[in-house]
Amino acid sequence: MSERAGGSPARTLAVAGYLADDVVRSQRYLLPLLVYVAVLGVLFGGDPGEPPGAWPASALALYPMAAWLAVIVANTEDPVQRTVTVAAAGGVVPVVTGTLLVGLAGDLLLVALPMGWPVVFGGHPYPPSVLLLGGVAHLACAVTGTAVGLLCARPLVERIGWSFCLGTAIVVVTAVQPWLPPVGVAVGALAALGPPPFAAAVLSLVLALGAAAVVWTVERRR
Amino acid sequence: MIRLAGVRKRYRGHGEVLAGVDLDVAAGRPVAVVGGNGAGKSTLLRIAAGCTAPTAGTVSGRPRVVGFLPGRFPASSRMPVRAYLHHLAALHGVPRADAGRDADELLDALGFTGDASAPVALLSTGNAQKVGLAQALTCRADLLVLDEPWSGLDATAAAALDLRLEAECARGAAMLLADHSGRAGALPGATVLRLADGVLTPAAMDAGTDAADGVQTVVELRCPGDPTDVLRALPPVAECWTVRGQLTVRVPAERGDALLAAALAAGCSVLAVWREEVR
Repeated sequence: MSERAGGSPARTLAVAGYLADDVVRSQRYLLPLLVYVAVLGVLFGGDPGEPPGAWPASALALYPMAAWLAVIVANTEDPVQRTVTVAAAGGVVPVVTGTLLVGLAGDLLLVALPMGWPVVFGGHPYPPSVLLLGGVAHLACAVTGTAVGLLCARPLVERIGWSFCLGTAIVVVTAVQPWLPPVGVAVGALAALGPPPFAAAVLSLVLALGAAAVVWTVERRR
Repeated sequence: MIRLAGVRKRYRGHGEVLAGVDLDVAAGRPVAVVGGNGAGKSTLLRIAAGCTAPTAGTVSGRPRVVGFLPGRFPASSRMPVRAYLHHLAALHGVPRADAGRDADELLDALGFTGDASAPVALLSTGNAQKVGLAQALTCRADLLVLDEPWSGLDATAAAALDLRLEAECARGAAMLLADHSGRAGALPGATVLRLADGVLTPAAMDAGTDAADGVQTVVELRCPGDPTDVLRALPPVAECWTVRGQLTVRVPAERGDALLAAALAAGCSVLAVWREEVR
């Protein structure tokens, strides 16, 4: 047994690669991506002005998009297919971790768009401190979205219609409270050009890990 | 190898499917589980494979690499056959090149006729089953958990699968199967267990035979009318199935004469009689 290559981290990465491949082949990511790019086009299309420009709005738009993407990743496999994947990967933990990794990798891509767009095409100076603020705040919103998406998808919510209703409800309720960490606080920090909301970013990561733990508990009880 | 102790599984709204299952599966000694539809065979196999945790009880000694074939291999994967097997080899943590070569050979032996670059979803039932078998059997797993592996296979492919499973046993793999076809019990060294009312019992026991003496008589009958009516007129049988209107029953050898007499009295005609070693 010991001569075989591939410990648990290698198998977790293999799950992530497999799920990413499946999501790309499914083309289900295209619709949220197009909606997202269209929203960013509206936000950054004219002259969004001095920093933060349209960042508070793009961070808010990023939140539901990251949740949508997480639902797509979590739902990409048929439930029976999922049993094969779990048995092959050697348990539920690598499969849930792989799902989370794909969601977080998607977050990085979604964050890169509103970060890069005004810097490249905006024509206003973006000093490093402002870039750090923008990056941390956008990441906090995206990773929170991933946490919400994981909680609204299989195995917790089987039907995509309920996933949509529940996800929309959570996002609408939590995004409009400016005092509520992590999304409200991160958007508030962007609007006020305050210090980077590191605490909100850390909290978002804790939420994502917590969501993964809930998924793990439910998945192994199925 | 793998040991299940006092395993129970309860689903909300369905009550208790498994009510205290104790099971040892040793290397090279296949264990076949038989039982009616909904008896919980698939649930038991999913627990053994690590897809789901039992409500109570323990599973110990599950090896690092498990090959699992679910009851109906999903035809929902949009991934091409080759890419899917490639990914699954990586998930199992085995070298992809070896697994790929072995999968090609196994698919050949099983008479895979689909397009290996087509999505699994577009394959016929039999060919999709062969892909499912390939991912489970080519990872050099120390434990194989196979739910109805012969389903959907034609006679040639089923015979090729028999050979492959024998080879896997000889390699030292532990094997747990659910089976309706009777082929699992014919694997060398196989134990047949019946799952009923959530517990496992030796399969021959429910016909009232001495488990140590596992010689059984198999009788093929052509009967007038409904086979279930005929069965009611026969002494208790260990197992029975019908193929194209022909009823085949299996009883402990010492009850063979009584069964034949009852079958003839019920108006059946005897097509064939043979003996099988069960344990």
